[in-house]
Amino acid sequence: MTQVEVRGLAKEFGRTTAVQDMSFTAPAGKVTAFLGPNGSGKTTTLRMVLGLVRPTAGQALIGGVSYQRLAQPRRQVGALLEATSFHPGRRARDHLRVLAAAGGLPSGRVDDVLGQVGLAEAAGRRVREFSLGMRQRLGIAAALLGDPAVLLLDEPANGLDPAGHAWLRGLLRDLAGAGRTVLVASHLLGEVAQTADHVVIVSAGQLRFAGPLREIGGSNQELESAFLSLTGEASYASRDA
Amino acid sequence: MPAAMRSELRKLSTVRAPWLLLAAGPLVVLAGVTGLVQSGGNVHDPATQGTALAHVGLAAVFTLMFGMLAVAGEFRHGTITDTFLSFPGRRAVIVAKLAVYGLVGGLAGVVSSLVAVAATAAWWAAKGGSFHLSSAGTWRTLGGGVAVSIAFALIGVGLGALIRNLVAAVAAALAWIALVEGIAGQLLGSGLARWLPFYASESLDRATLTASAARLLPQWGGGLVLLGYAAAFAVAAVLTTLNRDVT
Repeated sequence: MTQVEVRGLAKEFGRTTAVQDMSFTAPAGKVTAFLGPNGSGKTTTLRMVLGLVRPTAGQALIGGVSYQRLAQPRRQVGALLEATSFHPGRRARDHLRVLAAAGGLPSGRVDDVLGQVGLAEAAGRRVREFSLGMRQRLGIAAALLGDPAVLLLDEPANGLDPAGHAWLRGLLRDLAGAGRTVLVASHLLGEVAQTADHVVIVSAGQLRFAGPLREIGGSNQELESAFLSLTGEASYASRDA
Repeated sequence: MPAAMRSELRKLSTVRAPWLLLAAGPLVVLAGVTGLVQSGGNVHDPATQGTALAHVGLAAVFTLMFGMLAVAGEFRHGTITDTFLSFPGRRAVIVAKLAVYGLVGGLAGVVSSLVAVAATAAWWAAKGGSFHLSSAGTWRTLGGGVAVSIAFALIGVGLGALIRNLVAAVAAALAWIALVEGIAGQLLGSGLARWLPFYASESLDRATLTASAARLLPQWGGGLVLLGYAAAFAVAAVLTTLNRDVT
């Protein structure tokens, strides 16, 4: 089973500590939600797991090895990081063909994933014509391209319409149901309450909670109050109310 | 062919900007040859033919910009993240970009050479001069021009990887070409100036020019100096790319 394991991970950018002593496990066959306020270190942690940012301390392992040591990274891990990471002049299908060539993947996968994310009709259009939601779907298609056992998704619901949210929910459940490891950074607690099995909550670069969702209570309300008290934002929220 | 090279070729073949940039090279060569003849270049003097063909070297400015797109262009659009996810070792990415951009830069140099020959032959015919494709100087000039195109594409890849900000990289290169190297050359004096990259490129592609030959390196010397610059930039590109955080 290919789980994602974060062990004592830390990152300092100059004198700023972005992440410190972060440890958690995202198990295979489950959707693990990665929650935390803006700037709490979620994206930096995901980038360290993916070998894009070098940790100051600690390590991240995917099925027991670091990302840099994966034999075929595109077949083992699919990642969605930002919705804007496309060349605006490149057509959607060509974007995926570039990635397929890089990963040594069969070109037939390109049309498979375009269909899977509902972009088959738009495949021949240049990305500059795409809405935010369509870019997000293309990014998800890229993550699915290598049919990987592990998916790391940073705010995948960003820009999706209500139908898109429902579709994404089903997709994440299906992926985990097929035994894959799904780690999703999100701000949408309502979505998380409906989708996730496990939650990891971080704040100010530190872990506040990691465990099954039911330990916090499965309802949207319970999750929200747990999130706010764990991240120290409860007073902030009540002041707003 | 390695996956990294196949992916780089596919990246290039699926966008338009790099090709528009490269297409500017032959146009400048055409304009340069035409300008030489129109401003009273003597088509009956064999040396003028060499001067006309040496315009091939101008196209290298565009292969330099083209090379910069390789890495700095990916940072500009954020696609570098996906590229490094495919090749987490990163070294393969830079090596593939050097190979592909060097190859395409060389092909652009060949196209510019063909345009230079066609334009020169056409003007020589129109003005009643006798054009000699077969002279050794012709081939040394054209071959040198292609070599300059390759070297500057490689330097561009390295420079783009070092600076990463595409606008800053282009601005730095243009400032160097238009101002800095000329001033530096005057400060250093011709003994040292001929080791600077554009002086070296002049010796590489204007081998038949006698007027300025005294202050330049021999053609092979210019080639070695440019090769040295390309290698230095390539090594610097690899070293700075391997461990850098991509945020």
